[in-house]
Amino acid sequence: MITSERRVSRLSAVGIALLGVALFVIPFLTTTTSLRQASQIIVSVLAVLGVNIATGYGGMISLGHGVFVGIGAFATGYYVSDLSLPWLVAIVLGATTAGVSGALVGLPALRIKGIHLALVTLGLAIVFRPLSKRFPSITGGVSGRSIEARFDAPGWWPGDGRMASSVYRYVFCVLVVLVALWATWNVVNSRFGRSMRALRDNDTAAAVYGVDLVAARVTTFALSAGLAGLCGALQVVLVPFVSQDKFPAQESLIIYASAVVGGLGTIWGSVLGVIARTVVGKVGSLAAGFDGLGPIGEFFSLLDEPAFVFGFGLILLTFLFPRGLAGIRRKDQPSQ
Amino acid sequence: MDYVLLLQRIFDALFNSAIYSSLALALVIIFRATGLLNFAQGEMATFTAYIAFVLLSGPQPRLTGGGLAGLIPGVPFSIPLAIIGAVVCGMAAGAATERALIRPLGGASDLALVNITIGLLLATNSLMAQWWGTGPRFFPSIFPTGAGQHFVILGARLRYSTVGVWAILLSVLVLLVLLLRHTRAGLAFRAVSISPSNAELVGVRVGPTLMYGWALASGFGALAACLSANSVLLEPSMMLRVLVYAFAAATLGGLDSPKGALVGGLIIGLSQTLIPAYVPFIGFELSVLPALLAMVVILLIRPAGLYGTKRIERV
Repeated sequence: MITSERRVSRLSAVGIALLGVALFVIPFLTTTTSLRQASQIIVSVLAVLGVNIATGYGGMISLGHGVFVGIGAFATGYYVSDLSLPWLVAIVLGATTAGVSGALVGLPALRIKGIHLALVTLGLAIVFRPLSKRFPSITGGVSGRSIEARFDAPGWWPGDGRMASSVYRYVFCVLVVLVALWATWNVVNSRFGRSMRALRDNDTAAAVYGVDLVAARVTTFALSAGLAGLCGALQVVLVPFVSQDKFPAQESLIIYASAVVGGLGTIWGSVLGVIARTVVGKVGSLAAGFDGLGPIGEFFSLLDEPAFVFGFGLILLTFLFPRGLAGIRRKDQPSQ
Repeated sequence: MDYVLLLQRIFDALFNSAIYSSLALALVIIFRATGLLNFAQGEMATFTAYIAFVLLSGPQPRLTGGGLAGLIPGVPFSIPLAIIGAVVCGMAAGAATERALIRPLGGASDLALVNITIGLLLATNSLMAQWWGTGPRFFPSIFPTGAGQHFVILGARLRYSTVGVWAILLSVLVLLVLLLRHTRAGLAFRAVSISPSNAELVGVRVGPTLMYGWALASGFGALAACLSANSVLLEPSMMLRVLVYAFAAATLGGLDSPKGALVGGLIIGLSQTLIPAYVPFIGFELSVLPALLAMVVILLIRPAGLYGTKRIERV
């Protein structure tokens, strides 16, 4: 028991060190385009983390977190271009806007639970695109809109030109994600985090022990939506263009799937989920590049599709490792 | 108020109502027996519509895409035959899903079941996009749909296709009721729906019975997809929206009530056409919003719906 615990922690220490080295090395090795793609992958950790908070810690299945990513992106675009607010303020407000809308969704979640909540959030994910087309002044309607403001490197930043700005955006995103991971880790290990988990495991018992069910559920959902909104805000930082066609229902489901595949109820699970998605996608697109593989090639090009990989992965992991990738080594604990 | 126009809109809505009713019925049959909402029902149905499409067009690689092209017989099927073929394939797929993915889990948590059906939804959706492309395709109608193919009642036009789709739905429903009331398998299914453990004690084989239930449900789904593919155009995500309407219909009627699914489908179909017509903000594009709101309100106020059984929670 003790040895296995120690081995896990040594493994994760090695993993963290490798990740740190990779994060540091990436900007020296790539072009502006692939650096932007790397930043987008890193930023997507936040949305997955959001689902993890709601579903893994709060026990509320959310199939609609793409909606909050979308709200965060649209709101940030609106604040920074229409209201001409500074970027930092716009990002914070964008994430807050998503958090507030998350709280609104969290209100019905007080009575609608389990599989019914999954149903409602899936409906929300499907409705989001037509709904956002209805507000073209903010969302740009069908074709989307580009944001005039650019998140460029300030004067003191070393280097100049497009690459310097790309590196600046990359570093900014990495820092925000790291701070968010650290803050979330602290929240889930605080008194509030314990009441969140008590709520997930048995809400009646939690209420008996003095957890305010209404406040805890709404706060959890707001927090989780806020993280997803932060992801949307950073997407606007990276690509100053917002459009409803970036947020189809499948996107919400892929975010959910990444959270489950990575492992619900652990912070590292969210990071692992995104890493798994990236690695499988890269393998798929590399292998699909070779001609003459026949039906195997067709299968590899399916690996390039995140929807297929995560749909398949979701089914596979539910059978093999119900606790997700992060829980593979922890079979001794009962699965929930 | 223009009453002829109102009647016309009601007639127009009836076609969709039938589609929502039959997909809602598919959801209800599975929920009643296993307490699980099959989020993949729409995608499974779309897949069978593609099978019908492939059967109709014969072995043309350009149309059939990869994968299935080798399996198709040389002669294109006629439309009714293709739809029957698709329904049979759908039933087989439903039974296989139960056997391979649901039964081994053995009454796992809500979360695990949601994961399986969402995984199935995503995988099927991208598989269809890979094989047949994401562009919409024309799917022929089984009924005459040209100009002038309608009855005229009180000045409003009732299309043949609307009458036809209801005729098919109602006759399949009569078959279903006969099956449930007058056969041993039907009796077993009703017993399992009420209480799996008690049914097992009196000798009903629960597993195979549930498999038949899944087959029946997927058959209804396949029928819904094949009959609606003409009006919504065949594409991988065509049933996603329809799924919201069907879930709203099932929730409204009560998630475990087949009668509720029928009535719910009727009401949701009517409101989908009438609300956008009389509330300008909603418009056609947003017509799915009232359905979602209806679903939320029902789940908040009366989770059992119109005809469902009230669930009592023990703590």
